[in-house]
Amino acid sequence: MSALAAIGTYLPPWGSEKARLGGLDEDALTMAVEAGLAARSASDVAVTKVVFISRSLPLVIGGNSAVLLAGLGLANDTEVIEQVGGAPAVLDALATAGPGTMVLAADLDEGAGAGAALIGPGPGATVTSRGRVHRSLPVRAQSLDGVLHEDDDPRLVRERGTRASFQGLALDAVPFVVAGLSPRETAAFSGPNPPVLPATGAFSAIFALAAAAESGAEQLIVAVEQATASAAALGAGTTPVVRVEPEPHSPEKRRTHPGPDIKIAFTAYDRAFDSKVAWEAGECPSCGTLALPPRHRCLECGEEGTSVLVALPRTAFVYTQTTIHIPVPGLSTPYSLAVIELDGVGVRSLATVTDSEPDTAGIGSTGRMVLRRVATRSGVPDYGYAFSPDGIVHRPAYVEATISGGTR
Amino acid sequence: MRRVALVGAGMTPFKEHFDLGIKDLVPMAVTEMEATVDKGLDRGDIQAAWFGELSTTDGFPTGILADSCGLLDIPVSRVENACATGQDALRNAFYAVSSGYFDVALVVGADKVRETSSRATFWEWMGMTRDMAWDFPLGLVAPANFALHVQRYLHESPATKEHLAMIAVKNHMHALTNPKAQLRHTITVEQAMNAPMVAEPFGLFDCTPQSDGGAAVLIVGEEVVDRYTDKPVWIRGVGLGLDRVMHQHKVDMTMFPATQKAAKASFKMAGLMPKDIDVAEVHDCFTGVELISYEDLGFAERFEGYKLVEAHDTTVGGKIPVNPSGGLKGKGHPPGATGIAQCVELFEQLRGESTNQVEGAKVALAHNIGGPTAVAAVTILGSSKD
Repeated sequence: MSALAAIGTYLPPWGSEKARLGGLDEDALTMAVEAGLAARSASDVAVTKVVFISRSLPLVIGGNSAVLLAGLGLANDTEVIEQVGGAPAVLDALATAGPGTMVLAADLDEGAGAGAALIGPGPGATVTSRGRVHRSLPVRAQSLDGVLHEDDDPRLVRERGTRASFQGLALDAVPFVVAGLSPRETAAFSGPNPPVLPATGAFSAIFALAAAAESGAEQLIVAVEQATASAAALGAGTTPVVRVEPEPHSPEKRRTHPGPDIKIAFTAYDRAFDSKVAWEAGECPSCGTLALPPRHRCLECGEEGTSVLVALPRTAFVYTQTTIHIPVPGLSTPYSLAVIELDGVGVRSLATVTDSEPDTAGIGSTGRMVLRRVATRSGVPDYGYAFSPDGIVHRPAYVEATISGGTR
Repeated sequence: MRRVALVGAGMTPFKEHFDLGIKDLVPMAVTEMEATVDKGLDRGDIQAAWFGELSTTDGFPTGILADSCGLLDIPVSRVENACATGQDALRNAFYAVSSGYFDVALVVGADKVRETSSRATFWEWMGMTRDMAWDFPLGLVAPANFALHVQRYLHESPATKEHLAMIAVKNHMHALTNPKAQLRHTITVEQAMNAPMVAEPFGLFDCTPQSDGGAAVLIVGEEVVDRYTDKPVWIRGVGLGLDRVMHQHKVDMTMFPATQKAAKASFKMAGLMPKDIDVAEVHDCFTGVELISYEDLGFAERFEGYKLVEAHDTTVGGKIPVNPSGGLKGKGHPPGATGIAQCVELFEQLRGESTNQVEGAKVALAHNIGGPTAVAAVTILGSSKD
């Protein structure tokens, strides 16, 4: 028996109610981690498998799984499936997933955001497949060169895509909500007063499930992408939903500048990865001093070569900060940098200030450390933790509870 | 250890020398120095040279010094120590002469900041001083490097951005009479306060310009001083101090421990106290750095540096004039040359020959701090041996 143990949602604090925009330091991975951590905060189901579905994978070749697992605080031998897909693929994955599976979906286009659904052995609402139809009407297609080819004919899509595939599903009831369509189209194919979903991409299927779970009743859900459709029934049971959905504000007003790429040294990237992406310090077994980054020789007692990685707290305050206004090629200006101090351990770190306009956080401001793409270096995303000031994005107090003492 | 004196000191103008390479600036600086040796210099007397250069813009540094200056038969060593490079080159040469191994040594500092576009410079120079995984990708550019300190300093001390502006005004005014200075125009406090922002709290006028240039000094052992001049300037103290390289490991960012350590070592060697200093060249890559350095060098009590500014004590004519040359702010800042150029100004001050003379100056101090605020140098010079 598999059941939905928890659902987490994430919307970036940028854009409008109609269409969220990913921050300049966000991508499908960082948003998926936000949603995944939200889901984990509501369930103690041990995650043994991660399915990550998106059409906006940061890297086509290599690297996503390790970042995802480190960001979620999962061991690096956890099974990961990276899947290119839309909302129907997400419903299918959930309907067939076994206990311990976390399905993540995230998109940057057509409304940015992410969702996470964690499958457990129960209790929770069950998800059962009610059929799928794969047909072809590729009015939007992206070729290998990255160019998006789009045919503008909404009535064709409605009749030969959505409606024809709906007929193929041969459903015996009108769905509670259809994911993957504009609000107007959703209303046309759903029952009365369907929930408004924030996007049409893969993660909209999880937002549909979240709304169904919150309705407290058994519900039929359909997900559509062009001429592909999938249906699933949400059964009886209670599934907690943790939403990280801040009020949207206007897009960041930043300038980018021509100039040289930011160099990347893969040796340094490799040495720093575990600490930098899982947010862990080196602890001296002799005197207990924490070092960020981990180092050969203990900052306090001089013990050498024996430090072990331990999870760091994720709440912090600003010790000092500045905002850089001059053009810096490869970065968008202005941007704020802070030296933050982590609560309770006295460990400090240099960090970019995120989720906010430059100069928002002053000395003493409190906030949380969140996984972000801190830079793109010669085309390669570089992940680390940025400081998100309190009051902009409300996050559940999940991190210490789920990650401390993890198996990494 | 025997005593060591400066007997010659000269420099090129500091400016954007687009038309001159490092191979031009180095021999020009040495020739400028040579012209100040009162009784003349036979280059055959030079037994060794030290070359302070931060970035290698046009090939192999020590070879360039030997080759471009006609000094192919002596050993040349390069010193690189961030913005303390010039003074550290002098410190190394000082030890060699003081030990008695050499009698006559040449110290040259030079850099070409404007050999690449200023945008490219950000990443090139950050790469030399930042942790490549943790700090570098975040864009901890040079102004931000110091701004993080000064923001905290302004938070904890009574000083304000207006005090920073007053330092900019002072150093611009000091540069007016310096024929080698890059920025020879006065500004007002209002201009400085309203200038475009670079990195909070630094506006445009709080920042040093980007400069090219070279400077050189000749140092000799006390037994041979008379061969070159009757007005030597004695090296009374040298000191170098270090600190943690990452900002997150600096416990109190309202001060620069590197400066405090360098000053302690230099004052100890000189047997002098901060109150003995008549004139100082202090590292003012950003105005707030000069302010904090007043305290680290012992010219002011902690968090009281602003009082010197308000009383105009650090203006020429005041109690402890700072940066009569215009400082890095007004004169310019080609890092390898900067520390040596400070000594050129103090050489003139202690011989009563400066274009912005501090009357009766007998003991002088030069200070640099650089890299990720993790290295500082302090050199104390005097018109008398003791």
